[in-house]
Order: sequence, then structure tokens, then C-alpha cells
Amino acid sequence: MTAPVDEVLSRPGEAPPPEPEMAPQTPIQERTGAEDVGTLGLPLVGVDTRDLKGSLIVLEGADGSGRSTQILFLTEWLESEGFAVRTMGLRRSALVAEKIDFMLARNLVTRRTLALMYATDFYDQLERSIVPALRSGMVVLADRYIYTLIARGAVRGLERPYLECIYAMALRPSLAFWIDVRPEVAFEREFKKSNAINYWEAGLDMSLSSNLYESFIIYQSRIRAELRHLAESQGFIAVEGEGSVSAVNKDLRQRIASHLGIKPGRYTPSRALEPLWR
Amino acid sequence: METSSHKPGSKPYPGALIVVEGIDGSGKSTQLYLLRRWLEIGGYRLHFTEWNSSPLVKSATKRGKKERLLTPTTFSLLHAADFADRCERQIMPLLYSGYLVLADRYIYTAFARDAARGCSEVWLRNLLSFAPVPDITFYFRAPLDVAVRRILAGRPRLKYYEAGMDRNLSVSRPESFRMFQGMIMENYDGMVERDNFVLMDGTTAVNKLQKQMRDIVEQRIDMRRFAPKAKEAVSE
Repeated sequence: MTAPVDEVLSRPGEAPPPEPEMAPQTPIQERTGAEDVGTLGLPLVGVDTRDLKGSLIVLEGADGSGRSTQILFLTEWLESEGFAVRTMGLRRSALVAEKIDFMLARNLVTRRTLALMYATDFYDQLERSIVPALRSGMVVLADRYIYTLIARGAVRGLERPYLECIYAMALRPSLAFWIDVRPEVAFEREFKKSNAINYWEAGLDMSLSSNLYESFIIYQSRIRAELRHLAESQGFIAVEGEGSVSAVNKDLRQRIASHLGIKPGRYTPSRALEPLWR
Repeated sequence: METSSHKPGSKPYPGALIVVEGIDGSGKSTQLYLLRRWLEIGGYRLHFTEWNSSPLVKSATKRGKKERLLTPTTFSLLHAADFADRCERQIMPLLYSGYLVLADRYIYTAFARDAARGCSEVWLRNLLSFAPVPDITFYFRAPLDVAVRRILAGRPRLKYYEAGMDRNLSVSRPESFRMFQGMIMENYDGMVERDNFVLMDGTTAVNKLQKQMRDIVEQRIDMRRFAPKAKEAVSE
């Protein structure tokens, strides 16, 4: 049961409600590394975002796209290049990460409540970890960002403008990548991780199909379509994610090096990470 | 369907929603309690819900407050999550099944209080735009001094967020509370026309005010719909 914004905003006989005051969105690619990191539309309450000097680098991609693996290598590479790195992701806030895990495990929660818990989780990390990191000039690697959250809500029938307005105080990424893999490939990768498919990754809450494989494919295809739309409209760099880890990583390093104004150079993974380097 | 649900008689559900709002100490909870007792004693089909009470979310909010982890944005989002849970799992299903729902505080609490913390009105209105529009919103208004005195008399110590200490208004908790409640009241006052509040004078004697409240409920809502054995009465 959802009601559009204007139901609360307007009364019969009154002027229509004002459009949400969203700043026109500048595609990310038009920005340069020297520019301060601002928000996507509305000012972040109580936080001065004018003097954020670091870089916010976002990796988006569906489950099984290899995002988290890439973050591990990028972190190591950036640190070896002398950059201080901080990472963020979903369900990692001190405030509500455990609570969301609990909700997901019990499957007690409705889609909107879950979306708002994820929004809480996102802003808690943003305000208390990411903003201070950027202020001190760190490179932030985001293992997913608001775009996954918008995509997940949208495929579950929450209104896109509703979600976009909630995240209008999020910081605009300095650089954003969309690592794309076909759902069929993602399925194999995800299955191999734990010899099973996760309830939420298959979108089982949406009752798409009682066939787990089918449900996964339908759900992940819808997420992929949402992410593609966001990636295109927001100026993401699309990366083909079905290649080898090292090939995808090389592509990412080149883009990031150019953004940071450093030479891409050679990178050899440490022994600890070597097993993942395929 | 939903866009016209604020017009009388055109709601998509047979239930009705009565809401009380007002600053702490304005008398709203006492009055809603008395209204609820009146309806319970009369055997009406009703459900009562309170702000910030979802069993699923509440403990997270409590911890965030205790450890002072909350910013204006996360404070607002957690309360919205709490409300969303109650809205989707209690309020909406009950309205659809023909209940009279009484709410002690509603989305206007968030609009008034979170705006006093600096959240933008556009953002707040969007955040809670899924809430059904109440049939009646009673706004209890008492002079700031009266309301603050009522609260301070009954509390050994004001809580950190309750007193608005996160806004750095004053180092004194009672003084900060007073200033914060003043800002919230101003925000409520600004909503009276826009959100169709029914203004109630919180300094009126309790029983007289309750009489007014009951009269307004009976005028505005066809209470026969919620009365006991309504179906049998029709069929006989």
C-alpha cells in the first residue's frame, strides 16, 4: 500500500505541491578529480560537505559480479601506492547492521521498512565514517552504494522518486563503476560460494517463481535492468565483469589511476590475495 | 485510488484513522487515553498505536539513543522505519479490515521534530509520503511554559535526545528542552491549515476537553461502522 507524495503534500483546492528541490544532476564523468565531493541534491543535515578532499570511488554490480573481490585488490594496490583507503558497503554500520541481519534472517520485515533500515545503515556509515575519511583526504571504496539500494526498492515496487529523494543527501561519487555480468554467470559464481543460493539473492520474497533458479534469474535480471538504467543516466563507467579477475582489475586500476593522477604502474598481488587472482 | 483518499467517503478502505499531535506536556496522550477508554467501554472495534513502538525496530532506536549514535538524518530514518513497520503490518491492514485506528503521534511529529533538528521539509514529507491521511488530526496546544512545567514536574532527568541536547541549544537540559519544544511547537503551528489540524486548547479542563473531542469524533466519523454488532443490527 503506497501513496504518492502529493497525497500528504496537498489538500483539495490548494496549489499543487512543489517539486522536490533536487539540483540538476551532473553526470559523474563531467567532473574532474579536483572538484570537492558534494551531495546529489539536498544538503546533508549538520554536515559541511564543502571541504571534502578525498575521492569516493563506487563499485556497483549485482551479486556475483566480483565486486568485493575487486575491492580487496584495489585496496591493496592503493595502499601500496601510498593512499589511505576506507571501505564501505551494505550492512556495515555500527548503528543497525546487526538489526538488519536479524530482520533478514527472520524474514519478518516488509519491503519499505527494510528499505528504510538500509537507508539508516547507509547514512550512518556516510556521516560517521565516510565524511571524516574524505575530509582527511582518504580514498573511499564503496562496495555498492545508493544505486543498489534504489534498484532493490524499485524492483519491489517502491517509487523511484521516493527512493531518489531519500538518497538526495548522499555524496556524489568521484568515480563510479558498474561491473556487469549476466545473471546466468552470476548464478554459477554465487552457487559455488556456498553450495546454495541465498533467499534474498534469489528474490524469493517477491514470489517470482517457486523454481529457485528461475527466481534468481528473473530477480537478478530486473536488478540488472535497474542498474543499467542508473549507470547510463548517472554516467557510470561500465565494466564487463565476466573476464578474469586480473583483467577486470587492470581496467579498474587504469581508470582509477587516471582519476587520481598517478601512473597505473605494475601491480602484483600479495601472497595473501594470490588465490583469488585468476 | 490513493490520490483521492483524503476526500471524505472516497478512501480505499472502510476504516478510519484518528491522530493526536502536540508537544510533550500538551495533554494529548491523556486525552487520547480517555477517548480510547470511551470507545473500549462502548465495545467499538479499535486499535491503538504509539509513535516509536514497532517491536521490530524499537530496540535499534533505543540503542542509538543510549549510545548517542544518532544524527538528525539517522534519527529521522530510524523513526520512519519504525513507522513503516507499523504502517504496513498494523495500520494499513486494520484500516482495510474496517478498524478505527487511534495513533498517539503520527507523521506530523516527525515533520515538526526532525525539522527542528535541521532536516529539510521536502525530504521529510517525501520520507513519510506512504502514510494514510488521518480522518481527524487533533492538535493539542498549551502555552510552552505550561507544557514544559508539566514535563519537568514529573521527570527526574530529561533524556539527551528528548531535551534536544544534540542541537547544542544550551548546556542546561531543562533550558535546551524548553527551546527545542518551542521550535517544535512553531513547526506544528505552521502545519495547522495545510494538514487540517483540529486545534485543541490544552489548558481546558480535562473532562471538558474530552467532551469536545468526543463530539468532534461523532460529528466527523460515522461511528456506527465501528460499533459492536453493527452487522446484526442491519440484518434484523
